[in-house]
Amino acid sequence: MLVQALIKPNTYFDSVSLMSLSTKANQIEEVEQAIIAMGTEMNKEVMKNVGLLTPEVEVAGASDLIIVVKAATDELCETAFGKINDLFTKKNSGKKGTNDIKYSTISSAAGSNPEANLAIIAVNGAYAAREAKKALENDLHVMMFSDNVSIEDEIELKRFAHEKGLFMMGPDCGTAIIGNTALCFANAVRKGTIGIVGASGTGSQEVSVRIHEFGFGISQLIGTGGRDLKEEVGGIMMLDGIQALEDDEETKVIVVISKPPAPSVEEKVLAKMETCKKPVVVWFVGGNEEKITAAGAHFAKMSKEAALKAVLLAGADESKLNKRALNIPLIEEVRTKLTPEQKYVRGLFSGGTLADEAMHAAMEKFDNVYSNIQRNPEYRLKDRYTSQEHTFIDFGDDEYTQGKPHPMIDPSTRLERFVQEAKDPSVGAIVMDFVIGYGAHEDPVGAFLPAIIEAKQQAEQEGRHLEIIGYVLGTELDPQDYQEQIDKLLAAGVTHASSMQNAGLLAREFVVKGE
Amino acid sequence: MINAISGDSDFIKEINNSKFTGFVHSTFNRTFNIKCFENGDLFTIACRKLDNGPNTLIVNADNMKSQKIEVNDPVRVEKNLLFIGEKLTISIDKVDLWESVLPPYPSNEEILKRNVIKMKEYLNVHGVGGGMKKSVLTKNPFEAEVSNMLEKRTILLLNELLNHRISTALPHAVSLVGLGPGLTPSGDDFLTGLFTIFNMKNSPFYPYRSFCEDVLKKARTLTNDISYMTLKKAANGKVRDSIIALLNSILVEDDQDLILSLNKLLNIGSSSGTDIAYGIVFGMEATIRAGGKVC
Amino acid sequence: MSRISDLFKSKPHVINVGIESFKDDLLQQGAEVIHLEWTPPGRGNPALIAALDKFESPERMEKIEAANRLAVERIINSQPVLIGYDQAINCVPGMTKTTILHAGPPITWDKMNGPMKGAVTGAIVFEGLAKDVEEAAKLAASGEITFSPCHEHNCVGSMAGVTSASMFMHIVENKTYGNIAYTNLSEQLAKILRMGANDQSVIDRLIWMRDVFGPILRDAMKLNQNGIDLRLMLSQALHMGDECHNRNVAGTTLLIQALTPYILQTDYTIEQKKEVFDFVASSDYFSGPTWMAMAKCALDAAHGIENSTIVTTMARNGVEFGIRVSGMPGNTWFTGPAQKVIGPMFAGYKPEDSGLDIGDSAITETYGFGGFAMATAPAIVALVGGTVEDAIGFSTRMKEITTTENSNITIPLLDFMGLPTGIDVRKVIQTGIMPVINTAIAHKDAGIGMIGAGITYPPVEAFEKALLALSENVQ
Repeated sequence: MLVQALIKPNTYFDSVSLMSLSTKANQIEEVEQAIIAMGTEMNKEVMKNVGLLTPEVEVAGASDLIIVVKAATDELCETAFGKINDLFTKKNSGKKGTNDIKYSTISSAAGSNPEANLAIIAVNGAYAAREAKKALENDLHVMMFSDNVSIEDEIELKRFAHEKGLFMMGPDCGTAIIGNTALCFANAVRKGTIGIVGASGTGSQEVSVRIHEFGFGISQLIGTGGRDLKEEVGGIMMLDGIQALEDDEETKVIVVISKPPAPSVEEKVLAKMETCKKPVVVWFVGGNEEKITAAGAHFAKMSKEAALKAVLLAGADESKLNKRALNIPLIEEVRTKLTPEQKYVRGLFSGGTLADEAMHAAMEKFDNVYSNIQRNPEYRLKDRYTSQEHTFIDFGDDEYTQGKPHPMIDPSTRLERFVQEAKDPSVGAIVMDFVIGYGAHEDPVGAFLPAIIEAKQQAEQEGRHLEIIGYVLGTELDPQDYQEQIDKLLAAGVTHASSMQNAGLLAREFVVKGE
Repeated sequence: MINAISGDSDFIKEINNSKFTGFVHSTFNRTFNIKCFENGDLFTIACRKLDNGPNTLIVNADNMKSQKIEVNDPVRVEKNLLFIGEKLTISIDKVDLWESVLPPYPSNEEILKRNVIKMKEYLNVHGVGGGMKKSVLTKNPFEAEVSNMLEKRTILLLNELLNHRISTALPHAVSLVGLGPGLTPSGDDFLTGLFTIFNMKNSPFYPYRSFCEDVLKKARTLTNDISYMTLKKAANGKVRDSIIALLNSILVEDDQDLILSLNKLLNIGSSSGTDIAYGIVFGMEATIRAGGKVC
Repeated sequence: MSRISDLFKSKPHVINVGIESFKDDLLQQGAEVIHLEWTPPGRGNPALIAALDKFESPERMEKIEAANRLAVERIINSQPVLIGYDQAINCVPGMTKTTILHAGPPITWDKMNGPMKGAVTGAIVFEGLAKDVEEAAKLAASGEITFSPCHEHNCVGSMAGVTSASMFMHIVENKTYGNIAYTNLSEQLAKILRMGANDQSVIDRLIWMRDVFGPILRDAMKLNQNGIDLRLMLSQALHMGDECHNRNVAGTTLLIQALTPYILQTDYTIEQKKEVFDFVASSDYFSGPTWMAMAKCALDAAHGIENSTIVTTMARNGVEFGIRVSGMPGNTWFTGPAQKVIGPMFAGYKPEDSGLDIGDSAITETYGFGGFAMATAPAIVALVGGTVEDAIGFSTRMKEITTTENSNITIPLLDFMGLPTGIDVRKVIQTGIMPVINTAIAHKDAGIGMIGAGITYPPVEAFEKALLALSENVQ
């Protein structure tokens, strides 16, 4: 018989655990006898009395845990120690998964899980403010996906959060990346040094994937919700977000994304940028360059440009970047295929800012651009079911969702509209986004593929070319297969654009006549 | 942030003085211990199912596992908040103060005598074996030897105490320190019970309570930090709430109350509660038998 | 901005409310997520949400929390002790020879359901006020009988709860707060008055209980000066596998064990004493009413605390389910329709034979055992049609709507968690979780009796009404 000992210095287990470990250790097959005890003088005396004292045990201290095994051979001792060690580790990780316990209120969940730090609120807007308040009261940051929350509630929540030093992202905030974790609708991008604060979800997604494509990464992506830069709300979350990124050591460059803010808010945000110690790139979709430059920030007119400026400020070598310039020969080629009647672009979007960006690209060349998100009421779509000349539709807008899930999840409404537009002989190009990433449809291109193929065939039979531009917003790290989405588009004869910016520009250029 | 529910008033004072710094000394499922830099003492943060005790703060949490607190995490106090690294902040705003106050030894011993007998009977049936109580079924020679040594040494100790020889009792008490399995070795638990009786005012042993200090002086290297801290406090008459509750029950005639209190004590640790209870019974028997004759 | 830098530095640990797929996405990324079982508070009723919001102003919140702390403290600290047995006429406040007490909130004769009518007419015959049940029915309708809820007389009554002047009552004294609670004696078998049966065998049994069983218990307890600590005994019974509403095997054994030495010392004949023991042995239910009186005794001590939102009574009269809340003092009832009880039926009966939920026995759940302590009684999980895990689930779920745990009475299987104690009306409305109640099923017609057992829930309306009333009351 051999006696071997293992000493775990300064190791404490409660008595109940020790007893149960000891009992289990003695049940191990190889073990003739096992003792687990603290290495006090008295216990060593006991071991001496029963002939189990080894030199290691002799020098052990009162705070050391000693494990003594008696077994037939060296090997058996070793095996036994291995199994005993397993018992110890099992004891440590033997916690019940927190998911086993069901909670019904934020307070009870937060009370029992003090390590929780963020609440995602995605319930009917009528109840969302209440839940958000509970979350803030429990010291949780909030990301509120819900919309249809009153502006009064939004202001109250944001002020309350600001006082407590908490984030109140939203209402109507669909995109954030915190601690390299995508929340709700966001893409899997590399961790890096560029921080984003965005009032626009898909705009933020777009810039984040472009930055990723340029080989850089995101430190944090903070959403503010679409109304944050309105007069009433006053940009509370935007200002806190910029401040947070300025304070964050990981962040070297800040990108700010929004529709043009209300004038009073713009002033505050620009003032903030003026004092900000870190370079700020601003993409206000359709915004004004001078003021931004005057505030010392870097102006970007479009999404890719914003990403490009950010990575250059973050230290990218411009000569080594693939900027993916527009494919001019392709533009020439498509123009020749279109008949003179095929004059109009129809943009069908699941992402609001993506629609906005494409629309603004078109507005630079054409006057007759209609949309459900046009700021100028004259160019609002008169009937949401009927397109007028150049038309860009954000299907995420309430009037199109009508209680259905967001078009990034449920493609049906947009799909019907696509079939309708494809039949219109005045249409020169249809441009669409396909958003992948967390939260999004598992195969958005696949959902459109049969309709696209059929539409193309039908147009061909009618003797016209149907130009479809598809843009897949995503990265190769996303849960869906990014490359497969692109391959499906290409296989169906769709023109694949490498960015939203390019998609918007291509669509516009394809239908320009007589240049 | 979590709230402290109740705590030892001395501990709260330390926190209020904002001079408390230290590090996490050891972690368990339902408690963790902090070693204080200022005085080297151990302090315990325990979840709400546990009872109050010396140097202990009970906090509003079901367990400590989820906090992911690790040994050596730094501990500091700022503005009456106790910070455990960046992982946990404990507020003492709403804390109930607790103090260890032992009841005095009764002038009439009749009830006490009866209750001690009942306690012994109950322990014989319901006590947890492996320490002071012999485990009948054990085939483990270590356990058997521990029980034998505990028995022998406590008999020697009792003999000296009954024969009024406090000074010669000392080595026998010391020989119990660190003896036995468990985080707090059975011998230590037994002494905790015994020390408690020494510290009851009007107890025949009360004038000789420096005996506890004398044992303690020798105990420093004989047992681990955690058990030593418990002994140190007990030597000064500071013990956990469940022990105090049991003492209060022993002094009155209410069987159900006695059994309830005893059961709560027996639930401590594996055999720890039983060992403490034996220490109390032993101390009580010694005082009753020694009467006023101790010198 | 330390909370923000904390957030940036650690992985998000998310509480997800609403869309569940967000949880899956987060799990896929290795983040920690807790998904709430969320339903719109107050079933989305704006008035209820406004009431909940009103309670949340810091001042009101503080008042309510303080009141609720006091209420649960009184529930937990109450030490109900069985001190004796006597006839209702001698001990129950407000009892007269023509008074019939019944279970649940107030109800008039014409509205009573089958089982309760059966019990009332049986009791009238038993009291000698009518010669048969037909005549009794006429008397009941005549207005000469005073009907009143047990709860309004410091009593509780199981099932129909029908209690008349000469029935023997448990007398349970709250040693902490001094109040007393009463309940009548178990009739043991299935075909019994409280279940609506009223034939001669039922009446004969009641007479024997009045003339032999009751007096023996009364005289036995006269010999027991200390009384029997019911809280301690309840805690033992729970540790022995009872939940003390639908399973009473251990509790009954403990109770009769405590009574036996005194019964033996009484002056009755051996035969009579044997009859008593045989009767007790004939059904596990002997201690069922005892636990009800125990719970009633503790909860009455917590009733009438200004601003408290703690439920102190849940009771059903077979037509309506009523609750009382501590902060609405006196006999203010909030009611909703009594529900069906779902559970296994005795052979030969079908669900459509069931009478609706009836009885004051939900006082046990109001205290924290019965359905709330399902985890103590794995042996009867079949009643809930589930597994031991489900039983544990019931107990943990009730924590969501209660205020604290009763550390005096614990559930071993749940790591000695105390009974979930102090149902808070606010939490019920907030979470939509209804208190779970274990109970027996009586036949819907008079004269038949118990036909099964199972679980049920209160109607949400009762809690909604209570919440609205409280919101008026708490200033």
